[in-house]
Amino acid sequence: MSIRQAPSLSTRNRKSAMAQQPETRINATTPRLDVAHLAKSYGSGEKSHAVIEDLTFTVDAGEVVCIVGPSGVGKTTLLKCLAGLHPASSGRAAIDGRPISGPPREMALVFQDYNRSLMPWLTVRKNLVLPLRHLKLPAAELKERCDSALAAVGLSHADNQYSWQLSGGMQQRVAIARALAYRPEILIMDEPFASVDAQTRFDLEDLCLKIRKDFNMTILVVTHDIDEAVYLADRVVVLGSKPARVLKIVGVDLPAPRDQITTRSLPEFARQRTEVLSLIKRPV
Amino acid sequence: MKGSIRPLTFSALGIAAVLVIWQVLAEAKVAGNALPPATTVFSTLATILGTATFWSSLGATIGIALLALALSAVAGVILGLLVGTFETVRFATLAVLEFLKPVPPIVILPLAVLVLGPTGEMSLFLVVFGCLLPIVMQTVDGVQSTDPVARDTARSYGMREPEILARVVLPSAMPYIGTAMRVAAPAALVVTVVAGLLGGGPGLGQSIYQAQAAGDYASLYGMVIVLGVLGLLFQGATRLAERRVLHWHESYREVMP
Repeated sequence: MSIRQAPSLSTRNRKSAMAQQPETRINATTPRLDVAHLAKSYGSGEKSHAVIEDLTFTVDAGEVVCIVGPSGVGKTTLLKCLAGLHPASSGRAAIDGRPISGPPREMALVFQDYNRSLMPWLTVRKNLVLPLRHLKLPAAELKERCDSALAAVGLSHADNQYSWQLSGGMQQRVAIARALAYRPEILIMDEPFASVDAQTRFDLEDLCLKIRKDFNMTILVVTHDIDEAVYLADRVVVLGSKPARVLKIVGVDLPAPRDQITTRSLPEFARQRTEVLSLIKRPV
Repeated sequence: MKGSIRPLTFSALGIAAVLVIWQVLAEAKVAGNALPPATTVFSTLATILGTATFWSSLGATIGIALLALALSAVAGVILGLLVGTFETVRFATLAVLEFLKPVPPIVILPLAVLVLGPTGEMSLFLVVFGCLLPIVMQTVDGVQSTDPVARDTARSYGMREPEILARVVLPSAMPYIGTAMRVAAPAALVVTVVAGLLGGGPGLGQSIYQAQAAGDYASLYGMVIVLGVLGLLFQGATRLAERRVLHWHESYREVMP
């Protein structure tokens, strides 16, 4: 379990960030991820259709933030804006104060549809290698990154198999390992556990918390499962529709380490999930 | 093993039945001298197989078909990737490609013979003309069927467009390209023969034409049989190649024990 941030990389990022915006890095209170008045609409003129309207929230370093909201609210669109895949229509999204204009190097994305996101013609290990090729790493480092990422998700034995030979939960572990091998500082997950069975879901939630702890990862998870959001998060951003807007940001005050049995049976857990649920269920 | 023996038995029975019917019809002289008996054809074929001219025309046919197939595959996939990826290229070329697609190579054969003469180049040109467009069109379809989630994944990891094209889009399009190649391989053989038969290009087509002109029907049918076997080999080889390249695809996956 020894995926550590490559020091050279962090230093390089920090340097380039400083070069661009000298004042932002020095300010210790700058959130890692800063979303302010973000809006996204598709089409133009009269046909324009707003998916997101005026979203504002932050994610601090090392924090787990969950975004919940009714389905079709525009959560995936939000993540695509944050990941630099779609430009925002207005407002801003920034990492360490730098506006996001393309896929940020310190960010990795895990999609819900692991079977569409993993390449079926590549073995598990080659899936991990694919996004690393353009980094031109030395062979030894490439191997070490893949080995430790696979070990971190408990799939060291599966590296020569194809993803479609594995169960759904294992495939999503491969997708997470691919993200880890990229050595991101921020992990963004779009309904990552929505397509697996309940038991696997619990395992993957705990894997998510373990990754946060082991790698000091900042994690943003979109989910429609309120229990999952409360269980994972330090803060839950509750979205309302349509277009998407922030109803409330709920701070989750549950003790660490969290545990599927004890945490979920705490009265505080029930109180918090009720609070989030009533926000979502409330007639808009 | 029962499952693999039974189809073989029935195939053998089918072939035997055709040969018997052929023999009976030929002995009955239903088509006069134009249809010699199977036994005559096979004994003539055995003689032909001993001549150097036969082997050189067979080599010419296979060579032209394979070279044209390779050229079409390389050019077709590259063109297909460009047409499928860039909207401007697509708008500029699609109307022309759609127009040319249904034109059979035989239609432009007189033009090809006029410009290139009864040469191997002429045959090569015709075969490429016939194989290229279906490969281009299939590649375009394959490119456009690339899963947007796979593309987004690659982009989110900072992969650039040329790398995404080579390492994500091209493999995604391979099942489509494989289908195109499986159809193109026997077609390449057919067009090579037609170019020889009607255009005077080198190879078995030309030999068949000469046998026909000389009234040597036994040789003619002998060479047709050789072509049939060659067609089966082409088909089998492309199937095998497809299975190897696309072993990961749903239609070829082997379930793990």
